Amino acid sequence: MPRMLAAQIRYQLTLLTRTPRVFIAGVLMPGLLLALELGKRHASSSTLTAAVAGLTIFGTLSIAYLSNASALVVAREDGVLRRWRASPLPAWAYFTGRMIAAVLSADIAALVVLLAGVSMAGLHLSAGATASLIAAVSLGALTLACAGTAITPLLPNGQGANGVLAVTYVPLLIFSGGFGGGVQGQPHWLTTAMSYLPVRPVVDAATHALEHPGPMPARDFLVLLGWAAGCLALSARFFRWDPVRPAHARRPQPA
Amino acid sequence: MTAIVVANLVKRFGALTAVRDISFDVASGQVTALLGRNGAGKTTTIEILEGFSAPTSGTVRVLGADPHRGSRAWRARIGLVLQSTSLDGQLTVAEALSLYGGLYPRPMAVAEVLDAIDLAGDAGTRIGALSGGQQRRVDLGIAVIGRPEMLFLDEPTTGLDPEARRRLWTVIQNLTASGTTVLLTTHYLDEAQYLASRVIVLADGRIAADATPEGLRAMGGAPVIRFRLPAHAPALPGRLAQHESQHEVTLPSDDVAADLALLVGWARDYDVDLTGLEVGPPSLEDAYLSLTEATSHA
Repeated sequence: MPRMLAAQIRYQLTLLTRTPRVFIAGVLMPGLLLALELGKRHASSSTLTAAVAGLTIFGTLSIAYLSNASALVVAREDGVLRRWRASPLPAWAYFTGRMIAAVLSADIAALVVLLAGVSMAGLHLSAGATASLIAAVSLGALTLACAGTAITPLLPNGQGANGVLAVTYVPLLIFSGGFGGGVQGQPHWLTTAMSYLPVRPVVDAATHALEHPGPMPARDFLVLLGWAAGCLALSARFFRWDPVRPAHARRPQPA
Repeated sequence: MTAIVVANLVKRFGALTAVRDISFDVASGQVTALLGRNGAGKTTTIEILEGFSAPTSGTVRVLGADPHRGSRAWRARIGLVLQSTSLDGQLTVAEALSLYGGLYPRPMAVAEVLDAIDLAGDAGTRIGALSGGQQRRVDLGIAVIGRPEMLFLDEPTTGLDPEARRRLWTVIQNLTASGTTVLLTTHYLDEAQYLASRVIVLADGRIAADATPEGLRAMGGAPVIRFRLPAHAPALPGRLAQHESQHEVTLPSDDVAADLALLVGWARDYDVDLTGLEVGPPSLEDAYLSLTEATSHA
C-alpha cells in the first residue's frame, strides 16, 4: 500500500508540474505582486512581513484550492475519475495522494516567494521562521485542498468551474490580506467573519511564523482543523466521480 | 465456467425503464457483442456489469461477485475501456501504463503492452499529443495491463477512422486470444462480426436476439439476391424493379430459382452483365435492422 500511495503522490506531482496554470497562479503571480507591493512604498518591516505572508498564502490558495478543484472537475468530466474508481486503487489513496501533492507543491511555491522576499527586500529570515511558515502553509494547503474537493459537487463542469471558484476565492483572498496589503480599515464584523473562514487563519499563522517563529496560534490551528474535518466529511458524503448526465442523455434517442 | 450471470435485470431512471427484465449468461473465454441502437439499454447494462450503477431489480454476477459491491481484489480481475477516452493528457504513454500497472498483483511488463498496442515508438509521447486512435489504444493497454479475466469494451472504436478501427480490432484480437472473457458494446455490425462469437441484440431494453453472428444473419429471413445494375441498364421486370434502389437490387426471395430465372432471362434479352451477382443469407446489417425494427414496432 505505501508503494501505491507513493506512486499516487508522484503521479499527482507530475500532473501539477506539467500544468502551467499551477506555476503561473502559484509562483509567478505572487512573485510579481510582491515586486509591485515592494515597489510602491518604503516598506517597513511589518509591511514587508505582511506582504510576504499574504502573497505566500495567495500561492497556497491558488494551488491547493483553485487548481485542485478545477483539475478535479476536469478529471471528472474527462472520465479520468471513473477510470480510477474502476481500478483496484482505494478512494482514500487517490485523495491522500492528491492532497499530499498539493501540500508539497504549495510548500515549494511558498519557499520561492520567501526567497523572492529575501532577495528583493532583504527580508530577514531565520531557520525557525522558515520552518514555522512551512508548517502553516502545509496545514493551510491541506485545509484548502479539502475545501477544493468538497466544493466540486457544486461545479457542474470545467467551463463553469472557474466562475464559481472565483466567487468563493477572490473575496476570501481580498478580505483576508491574501494580496499582501494587510486588512486595515475593515469593519470589525468582517474581520471577525474572516477569522472563521479558512484563509485568514493561514495568513495570520504565516505572519505570526515570520514575526514570532514557533507553534501556530491555537485558535488558527483549530479553525483550520475544523474546516479540514468538515470538508472531508462533506466530500465523503457528496463527492461525485461521474459528471452529471443531462436528462435528455438518459432518454432513448431516435435511431 | 460462467463469467457473467444476468437474471431478470431491470433498471429504471425515474419514469424511464432503460432495461426491462433481461437475462443472459456469458461463458468464460467467450467474446460477446452487445448490439443495439442508441437508448436500447447497452450502456446501462454494461455500466451495471462494471459496477458503476446498481440494478433496480434482478441479479447480476461478474466473476462470481456482485459488481456494485466489488472489492479491490475483484476490481483487479476486471479491465475496462470506457465509452470515451479517459486519460490524463499530461502523462506519457509509458508513465500511464506504469502507473496503472502498479495497481495490479501481476501486471504485464510495460514494454510488452506497448508492443501489443503497437505504440512502442510513442512510449515517451504525452498522451495529449496522440491521435484519437492512438489514445484509444492506450485506453486498451491500461485495460489489459493487469491481465484481466474479464474485459469490458464499451464502444471501443466509436469515432475512429476505418484504418484506426482495423488496427484496434487486431490489437483486441491478439489480446483476447489468451482466453480473456470479453463483453463488447458496439454500433458497428462488422466489428461484432469480426470480434465476437456471440451477439446479443438489445432493443427497447429487451433482448431481441441472442445468437452467433451467422445465426443472427439466418434470423433475418429469406435468402437475398443482390446485384448492382450497370449504368444505363434497361428497365427491370416488375417484381425485380420493386426492389431496386440507387442502382442496387436487393431482393429477399422465397423462391430463389424462379427469381434467378427471371433475372437471367432479362439479362440475356438485354445483354446485361451480371458480374457481382450474389445469392446468400441476409447480411448481419439486414438481419439486425429487421430485428430492431420489428421490436420497435411491436
